[in-house]
Amino acid sequence: MLLVVVFVPIPSLTQKGKGAVRDAMAPAERGASSVWQRFAEAIAAIRGIGGAVGKNRELAHELVRIQADLNRLQDAEADNARLRRAFEFRQANSYSMIPCDVISRDISGWWNSVRIGKGRADGIGENRAVISPDGLVGRTKEVSKLTSEVLLVSDPACRVSARIARLKNGGYGLVRGAGSTLKGYPRARMEFINKDVEIKVGDEVVTSGLSSEGGLFPKGVHIGYVEKVYQDKSGLFQYAEIMPRATVGLLDYVFVVTDLRPEAQR
Amino acid sequence: MKRRLLMILLLALAALLQQVLPAWPLFGGMKPPILAAMVLYYALRRDNRERWIVVFVAAVLQDGLNLGSFGPALLAFPAIGIVANKVRNEVFADGLVSQLVFGAAAGLFTTFSALLIYGITGQRPVQFGESLMRLGGSFWLGMATLPLVSLSINKLEAALPKRKGYGWQ
Repeated sequence: MLLVVVFVPIPSLTQKGKGAVRDAMAPAERGASSVWQRFAEAIAAIRGIGGAVGKNRELAHELVRIQADLNRLQDAEADNARLRRAFEFRQANSYSMIPCDVISRDISGWWNSVRIGKGRADGIGENRAVISPDGLVGRTKEVSKLTSEVLLVSDPACRVSARIARLKNGGYGLVRGAGSTLKGYPRARMEFINKDVEIKVGDEVVTSGLSSEGGLFPKGVHIGYVEKVYQDKSGLFQYAEIMPRATVGLLDYVFVVTDLRPEAQR
Repeated sequence: MKRRLLMILLLALAALLQQVLPAWPLFGGMKPPILAAMVLYYALRRDNRERWIVVFVAAVLQDGLNLGSFGPALLAFPAIGIVANKVRNEVFADGLVSQLVFGAAAGLFTTFSALLIYGITGQRPVQFGESLMRLGGSFWLGMATLPLVSLSINKLEAALPKRKGYGWQ
């Protein structure tokens, strides 16, 4: 019976079981997270910067919105000549996001993930982009009523369609997590990049906006910078090592993209 | 009944603590196996029914709060409980050496069963070097965790009123 449960998992049953455990533990996790945050804030206050904690949070939210607008403007500028001819050009707008607190982290160390305190009841679905002021954090996976698991971009199971920001044509690839270094820095690899594209160390990697596993991924969200470039063994592609900056250190709060359309158009 | 409730509450607290603690890259990114250590602690000291309650609650908590399917803890914790119950009359559960050995074995076995399940089901990429680091990391973490867990629970239980007619503890 036990071996059947372990080796022949029934997805719907597993989801229900896990959802029940996570929802039951969510209040305690929220409490523990809040205690931890107050503790961190108290430490920050002692260091003389505590008064700005609340304001900092508001500004961070604003910063994400401004970055979204900036990405839109940069893309609009680059494509201006082409779009001018377009007959029915609809101006791209910034996307809608839900701010969420990170309430806990992975329990075993096998996954690079965090749990956020909002779930299906708040309108969050699976495979939604999760971002922070520093860029792409990951994607939602296993959403229960009250919580959502976020698979960080440094996890090998997280794959995101991306492109090199400097290159307007080409430079597309797939970013997939590669765990972390011995110093604890997250790593990711951008794979399947056309071998003829010239990539430089320091190039910025952003999301391409192409649909990935049916998810909602906005265009132009910062992922990281190229640190090394390699030629694939087959000689058909090249790949680059990047450090996903948004997952460095402990995350307190993140934003889940719920709709690529602006609130006014929904 | 109160002791059982306390036991379950302690397991929930242990799960919270295990989540809060950071994963150390030097130990293969593994976390201290607090829940596995608690299973071992109770399996070496409590009766059959309480052992199975602990095994079940700890396994459901660990696998339920983890990504992926139920499995690693559901497979490892009952095995740890059964083995600990078999040898409980031959070992001195409060001895430091016994705790170091059992802790290391529990950590190692929990990681090995996770490796086995993730490898077979393809949920995680299994690479030799990384797996070796994870096994080594959980060996040392398990060794360090069980004595700390035992000490904490012993202190806590010593502070509680004694249960009537309850054996050697």
